[in-house]
Formats: sequence, C-alpha cells, structure tokens
Amino acid sequence: MPKRKLHPLPAAAFQILLSLVGEDLHGYGIMRQVAAQTDGRMRLGPGTLYSSIQTLLEGKFIEEVDLREDVKLGQERRRYYRLTSAGRKLARFEAERLAGLLRVARAKKVLRGQYV
Amino acid sequence: MSEKIYAWLLQLYPSHFRKAYGDEALQLFRDRVRDERGFFARVRLGLDLLADFVESLPREYLHVQPGLICASTQGRLAGVPSFSFVREELPRPGALLIGCMMSVLTLAAIWSALNSAGNYRAMRSLASRQSLRPSAATQQAPLLRPMDDADGTVPALAEGGKLDTAEKQRVIEGAINNLKRHYVYPETAQKTAESLLVHEINGDDDPVTDGAAFARLLTSQMRDASQDLHLELIYSEVPLPEHPGEPTAEDHERYREAMEEQNCTFEKIEILPHNIGYLKLNSFPDPSVCEATAGAAMSRLNDAEAIIFDLRDNRGGEPDMVMLVAAYLFDHPEYMYNPRENTTERSWTRSPVPGNRLADKPAYILTSSLTASGAEHFSYGLKMLKRATLVGETTAGAAHSGVWHRIDDHFGMGITETKPINPFSKSDWAVVGVEPDVKVRAADALKTAQKLALGKLQKK
Repeated sequence: MPKRKLHPLPAAAFQILLSLVGEDLHGYGIMRQVAAQTDGRMRLGPGTLYSSIQTLLEGKFIEEVDLREDVKLGQERRRYYRLTSAGRKLARFEAERLAGLLRVARAKKVLRGQYV
Repeated sequence: MSEKIYAWLLQLYPSHFRKAYGDEALQLFRDRVRDERGFFARVRLGLDLLADFVESLPREYLHVQPGLICASTQGRLAGVPSFSFVREELPRPGALLIGCMMSVLTLAAIWSALNSAGNYRAMRSLASRQSLRPSAATQQAPLLRPMDDADGTVPALAEGGKLDTAEKQRVIEGAINNLKRHYVYPETAQKTAESLLVHEINGDDDPVTDGAAFARLLTSQMRDASQDLHLELIYSEVPLPEHPGEPTAEDHERYREAMEEQNCTFEKIEILPHNIGYLKLNSFPDPSVCEATAGAAMSRLNDAEAIIFDLRDNRGGEPDMVMLVAAYLFDHPEYMYNPRENTTERSWTRSPVPGNRLADKPAYILTSSLTASGAEHFSYGLKMLKRATLVGETTAGAAHSGVWHRIDDHFGMGITETKPINPFSKSDWAVVGVEPDVKVRAADALKTAQKLALGKLQKK
C-alpha cells in the first residue's frame, strides 16, 4: 500500500498532532480536542479522523499507546495515541511554515489584527 | 442517523480500514450520539458524518492498490494449480463500467427471452411463475383467506372448478416450504423440493387439473425423490380447518361414553375350543379411558393355551394401547417400532405384566385389507419380533406417521419429522401394508388361525 502523502500536511493531520501535544488521547478525545482548539470549526468525522490517524501512524508521527478505559466515558476500553518526537517535529515545521505564511500575509496587509 | 445506518455505511470502506478502525469509528459515532443531544446537534452530527463519509471514502480507496497476497512462489508444486488473492476491493473504473454493461445486457437478454419464450417450456414456466401469481390472486380475491401455520403466504384455493396453473404452483410452493422447514433430513427435503420443481418445469403436472389426482401425483413425485413412503400430499374437497382445536372436555366425555357403550371396542373375549383365547379388538382405544377394560379382557384370557387377536376390523387408535396390549406377550420389556414417535422409553413394552401367563403362549393375529394404522403397528411389531403369526390379508398400509401441515383450504401434507429406530427393516408398513405370514382370505383367517394354534398345541 503506498504511503499517503503528508506533504503538504493536511489540516486534519496537523490538528491531530496538535491535539496530542501534552496528553495521550483516544479517537473521540482527539475529535473533541480538535473541535475545542478550532472553536468548533473542525469536527472530525470518524472516516477523516481514523484515515488521518492511520497516515500518521504509518509515518511514525504518532504511536498507539495501549487500551484503557476512559473513566468519564464508561467501561469500554479505548485505544490511546501519543505524539512521537517525529510527530512533534513535524508539527513544529508545519507551525513554522504557517507562521511564515502569516508573516507574508501580514506584510502584504492581507491579514489584520494581532494574530501570532 | 441510527447506528445501524452508520454501521452499514462503514461497510463501504475498504476492508483494511474496517478491520483496523471499524470498531473505533462506531464507538466514536456512539460517543457523539450520546454527547450531542437536541435537534440541531443531531442534524449537525448527521451532516458531519455524511460530509466525512463523502470526503474520506474516496481517499481511502485511492490509497488502496491491488496487491497479491499469498503469492509466495515457495511451496508451490510443479504442475499443481495454486491460487493467489488480489487484495483490496476497488476494481478499475473501466472494469466496473464493463461489468455494469454486461449485467444490463444479460438482464435485457433474459427479459427478451422470457417475453418471446414461444414453445420453450422451461422458460415459459419461469415466466408464468412471475406473471400469473398476482393476477390470479386478484381475480380470486373474494375467496382468499388468511393463511396457515406453514408460511402464511399461500392463498387459499379457489373453490369449485379445476385447478389452474397458478393454483398448482401455490400448492407446490407450499409443499416445498413445508418440506424445507419441517422434514427430518434437510438434504432429502432439498432433493424432494427440487424434484417437485423439476416436474413442474418439465410440465409433468400440466395435464392434471383434478385436486385429488394432483395430490396423488405430487405424493408419488415426493416419494420417488425421497424414497419415503410417509410423505403424502392430501386433497380435501371440504375446506380444511385452519387451526384444528384441541379436544374439549365435552369431546372427552363423549368419547368416554362411546367407549363405555362399546366396551372400549373389545368386541369379543372368548375361550374357543382347545382353550384357545380369542380377542376381537376393533380399535386401540385411549388407555386413559380403557385401561381397566383392557386389563379385564386380558385377564379373562389369562389361562388360555394360545391367543388369537382378531384385528380384521381394527382401524387403529392409540399407540399407548398398542403397547399396553403387546406387553402381555412378553416377560421382559420389548422394543416396538413406531414410525410416529422418536425412540424413547415409551418404545418398550411395560412387560412383564404382574400375574400374566400369556407371555410364552402362541399368538396369532388376524388381519384384513382394512386393518390399519395402530393395528398395523401392533401386527408389524409382533411379526418382526416373531412373537405372533399373522393370518389373513395384507394390511392397509396406513402409517400416517407424517405430521400434518395445512397448505391451504384444500391441500395439506404429512411430513416425516421424526426418525425412530427401525431395527427390523429399512421400510415399514407405510403404503405397502404388513404382509401376513399365512395369506388367506380375511373371512377364512379365524379358522386358519385356530387350526394353526391347535396344530402347535398338539405338538407340545
């Protein structure tokens, strides 16, 4: 199976990487974290979420941790994911790339306000 | 969107995805359903999922590339065909297109063949199966009744007049359904069902338009295919009751009175010359009513040197009474084959009977062509056990061991649902009857039996 491209990094994959900074999450946890960090603009559906997770796993940007219960969500055991150092690096590159874009946008006065 | 629908949508993803994430995707769906309540949240969830589906499904397939698995060349033997599997689902678009076109062309060809089938019987029959049914059902609407226990779909037969093709098809279909559902051996059921269809398609049933003749024809077709003489299809001119009721207390009372009046059909209990006991029994009545009468009759014959059971007018009855009377002829429990019941402890006679002295006395059974059912059970068992000599005519051959299933108002069938052990022979008396040991006219049977008994007693 051909590896999926992560260049340019799809928005969903980037958001997933960001969501995993700081804590391990299961699929639904990632979905909620992504929704929170985008003010509800990005609600990852199962297809997109797991497709992205699969791609990131293949690239070793995230890894599966273990199966465990989420005490808030009940008895079902869930698979948790963790950011790898490669994943953290990829997220940083992407953030820097976007920051660069932002600088350009701001210089050209496309963007107003105090972002970043 | 319900979980079922979403689970179904998930089936559309490639297998590797479903395998890896199907459960988790479903779990995420459940989580969202649980957390996102209220009308707008639900609508948003539905839209999210649809959008996600549309977006992610093509992407999943785009990343799938057919690859051969199990294609290792090691372990292959020269000249031996081997199989490899192409992994993953999506065929090339070109292949899909050709597949669609071929399907459409094939369907069009079948449709055209059915419409211009001409004299090709098999095709025409297939076509009529599809087309006749609804129209016939509409025409007979006033005669339709709710259907039976068998499958609830077969409408009742039109009353009066001859059978038409659609009606015959309904009966055949009902018979097939019943066979598949109830027959003791599924393989035989399948074979028999197929045989019914083949006969139908070949037009073997076409010339028959009379209900009774049609029932006989299907019976013989089923028996040929299954080699089971217990299978039968029965036609009744009188509409068959949909749910034959259980006997009521009144019925029991009426039965009890009738039995008391007739001495439980123990018509004659005599001691003939030379101390030969003679019992003319015209049925095997229910022991719950007649046990005492049977016991009294047998004890009156207890001192006889030989015993003759006259079953020439006996059309059958209760297996329990068969076992009860037979018990007097053995000093140990003996197996009596009964095609109606699976082999259980009830299949053994409750011998010895306390105080009985008939267990070792010569026994004779008088038979006629009317001797039927339970009386054949008695005769067959004792003949096979070599415990009695049968004198008279071949019996009626009424095993009636099939369990009754109504097909519609006029047709029903007996289906073998049990398979008790018959240690004596592959077949029993179904249809063929029980052959007597000594074949004489029924009218001469008593005299002959008396002579035989006397001869035996004198030899002692």
